[in-house]
Amino acid sequence: MRTLVAILAVLIGGCAVVQLPAPGPDPLPAPAPTAARTENAAIAGLLDGARADAASGRLANAAASLERALRIEPRNPRLWQELARVRLKQGEYAQTESTAARSNSWAGGDSTLRAENWRLIAQAREARGDTAGARAALEAADRQR
Amino acid sequence: MSRHKRFWRAFRFALLAVALLTAGFMLYLDFRVRSEFEGRRFALPARIYARPLELYAGLRIARANVLDELREAGYRDGAREGGSGWFVREGDGIEIAVRPFVFWDGPQPAKRIRVAFDDSAVAAVRDAEGRDLPLARLEPLPIGGIYPANNEDRVLVRLGEVPKHLVQALVANEDRNFYSHYGFDPRGIARAAVSFVRGNGRQGGSTLTQQLVKNFFLTPERTLQRKFTELGMAVLVELHYGKEEILEAYLNEIYLGQDRDRAIHGVGLAALYYFGKPVEQLTLAESALLVGMVKGPALYDPYRHPQRALERRNLVLRETKDRGYATMEQYAAARATGLGVNPKASVGTSPHPAFLELVHRQLRRDYDEADLRSEGLRVFTTLDPRVQGAAERVLERKLAQFDKEKRFGAPGLEGAIAVTDSQTGEVQALVGGRDARYRGFNRALDAARPVGSLLKPAIYLTALAEPSRYTLVTPIDDGPFVWKSRGAPDWQPANYDGKHHGAVQLRTALAQSYNAASARLGTELGVERVLATVKRLGIERKLRPYAATLLGAVELSPLEVAQMYQTIASGGFRAPLRAIREVTTQDGRPLKRYPLAVEQAFPSEPMYLIVAAMQGIVREGTAQALKNWLPPESGVAAKTGTTDEQRDAWFAGFTGDRLGIVWIGYDDNRAARLSGAAAALPVWGELMAMLSPEPLAPLKPDGIEIVLIDPESGLRADADCTGAIELPFAQGSAPVERAPCSSALGVVIEAVQQRAKSWLERLFGN
Repeated sequence: MRTLVAILAVLIGGCAVVQLPAPGPDPLPAPAPTAARTENAAIAGLLDGARADAASGRLANAAASLERALRIEPRNPRLWQELARVRLKQGEYAQTESTAARSNSWAGGDSTLRAENWRLIAQAREARGDTAGARAALEAADRQR
Repeated sequence: MSRHKRFWRAFRFALLAVALLTAGFMLYLDFRVRSEFEGRRFALPARIYARPLELYAGLRIARANVLDELREAGYRDGAREGGSGWFVREGDGIEIAVRPFVFWDGPQPAKRIRVAFDDSAVAAVRDAEGRDLPLARLEPLPIGGIYPANNEDRVLVRLGEVPKHLVQALVANEDRNFYSHYGFDPRGIARAAVSFVRGNGRQGGSTLTQQLVKNFFLTPERTLQRKFTELGMAVLVELHYGKEEILEAYLNEIYLGQDRDRAIHGVGLAALYYFGKPVEQLTLAESALLVGMVKGPALYDPYRHPQRALERRNLVLRETKDRGYATMEQYAAARATGLGVNPKASVGTSPHPAFLELVHRQLRRDYDEADLRSEGLRVFTTLDPRVQGAAERVLERKLAQFDKEKRFGAPGLEGAIAVTDSQTGEVQALVGGRDARYRGFNRALDAARPVGSLLKPAIYLTALAEPSRYTLVTPIDDGPFVWKSRGAPDWQPANYDGKHHGAVQLRTALAQSYNAASARLGTELGVERVLATVKRLGIERKLRPYAATLLGAVELSPLEVAQMYQTIASGGFRAPLRAIREVTTQDGRPLKRYPLAVEQAFPSEPMYLIVAAMQGIVREGTAQALKNWLPPESGVAAKTGTTDEQRDAWFAGFTGDRLGIVWIGYDDNRAARLSGAAAALPVWGELMAMLSPEPLAPLKPDGIEIVLIDPESGLRADADCTGAIELPFAQGSAPVERAPCSSALGVVIEAVQQRAKSWLERLFGN
């Protein structure tokens, strides 16, 4: 009998826990569920242009297009990641790391995106001769599953 | 030897000496003419541009703002005339004939676009054929220059670009025999003399060549010797150069008026300045007005003396016709037109001198001052004319209002504003004083003023970075606080309301800006550690490690404060504030980019917590009055600042897209008797409300959990607690203890759960 009560209590308790966060009258603004918005045409166009520029070695132009896009959607983690990729090609390794970290800060639950950011960070560290740091970054990439 | 012979010998010697001297002088003049004329390049100012407006579907901007920007850029309203440079309003939209422009990343041809609007946002952008355009970039507004000596400004033109009727009107009125004389014109001089004797007033007998020489090489004094030098040089110039070269130099050199402190030189700039069009497009009447101004740009200023300028123009037209350069019909048609000058207000060397100064300082790190003033560099900046205009207007209006209410007499209150893009660190607006046009003391850059409570977020951020010791609800003692240090008087900060509030939650101590609690917390953490946080936030100035520094006994400029708050606004990613994006040469070759750079100065978790606490300042603390301008959903995070005797009123705050810093006070440091909340907050609120801000909604990092808290006790709440609030905590740092308000059932259940757990553990031997 006591066992039954206890099991019942666990169930009720579980329900109670689930119900718990009833919002008060004065809540914080709800955090945005994900920062990655649907890409608008302007962003898509700039991103395409940036990729084409980067592919043909016009890295400054690629970066400029990505910055234009970021002025429109500063919370778009894909743009930050693309910029990190350009910075890596430019040999700006410190900027690669921090820009990829910025991408991570807007990535929300997108683990694929995060893993790619960590791989970029690993490449930047490797290029700077920080082998241990690179390994740690690759491990972080593997954890994004 | 006879006396006669001796005389002739002396005479010949004298003659020879004079001839030698003259020859020597001419040789010297020739050297000067050739070296200076040949080596001469017109000094061209660096031209500074605002950010280009980029139009795309979804951009939050009202149609009126786009219209303002087009008018500011000199686009003509209403008529589809000419290839570009006009707009037509149609229904809710605008059709724009965008001018061609050479951007940093290449030339963009003229194009026609249609922009549709709905509810103060762009609904669609289409090309002339009705196809959707993802993005359309308008040419950026010129916002001034960095000028050569005497603030000379000019836009170089080639002779071939100048309309024939302009050259003809010039020759007919200034130097009829230009094409036949050798630099000076005896007939012209005679004519001038006759005219003078007859009492028809003074007429210059100077040829165009003489005028050019005078402007190029000589000072404006009027002596006989100078006149001779001028004559000699004019002849030499004619000897060395063709009429066309001389004419082209003249057309680029001639002084044609004054725009405040900026000197308008050359017909290229004059055409743009007076008529808003390139010189090629000048009509006969417009050309005649410019030619008429050669005699006296101030005397015949079409803005200040329109009637006199019109009469002068008509005189020029008649002379042009009389010399056979215009037909009777052309003359009559030109005479019948009005002055037709641009209504554009004068801007001087810049309409926004405070921002320009920031640009100039940033440029000086990479360029020689001489190059900036002569090479015609094109500088593309981050200035947003809409934000800048709004900031200037709000500051001017509010300060006038405060002055009236306070009646503290002259000189009135002063202020400064800095607005940046909170994510990229681009400076969108900078106002250096209430008269934004005045190129004087730039308070946004150079007024270092005590910042008061603006430094407090650094104390609380230092604390929140240590979640095992401090959370948003950790009790802090606000009782009387005395700081004793050897060799310094005791420091005992008082609260703004003169009271002490006992134990308060950390978030409340910041929200209410309690001094005693903040000082206690700051000294508990260690002054050096807090100052290290300040430094990481981006303050480069060395701060003295005194306890009083914690409460803002430290002087910073509004721009420095902006740098510090930018790091908070962008979630711990410090981005150096930038005013420049790109620099190109005169003909558009890219020279330098100033790329977006970020550096992670703090992990995301404490930043999320401090921003939540600063949102609390607006929701329930010292910045509550902001609700008069922005709805609670905006989620603004901010901090007020007030210094001793209310000498300085500060407000620093950010939305989802912009950061703004406002300072208000007296230059002479009088007590303003205005708090940050009473003076700086309304300026900030009114400004941001005009800019349709994006709500602030930071993304919750993984290491943060949201917990329901009873605001009274700071303990864990549940559904039964009325008025419970959600607060963020670093994972595992939230209070475990339940608030008294939480349901009795909850407590019972917890006890039962605890028992069940131990029972299960026993059962499974765990």
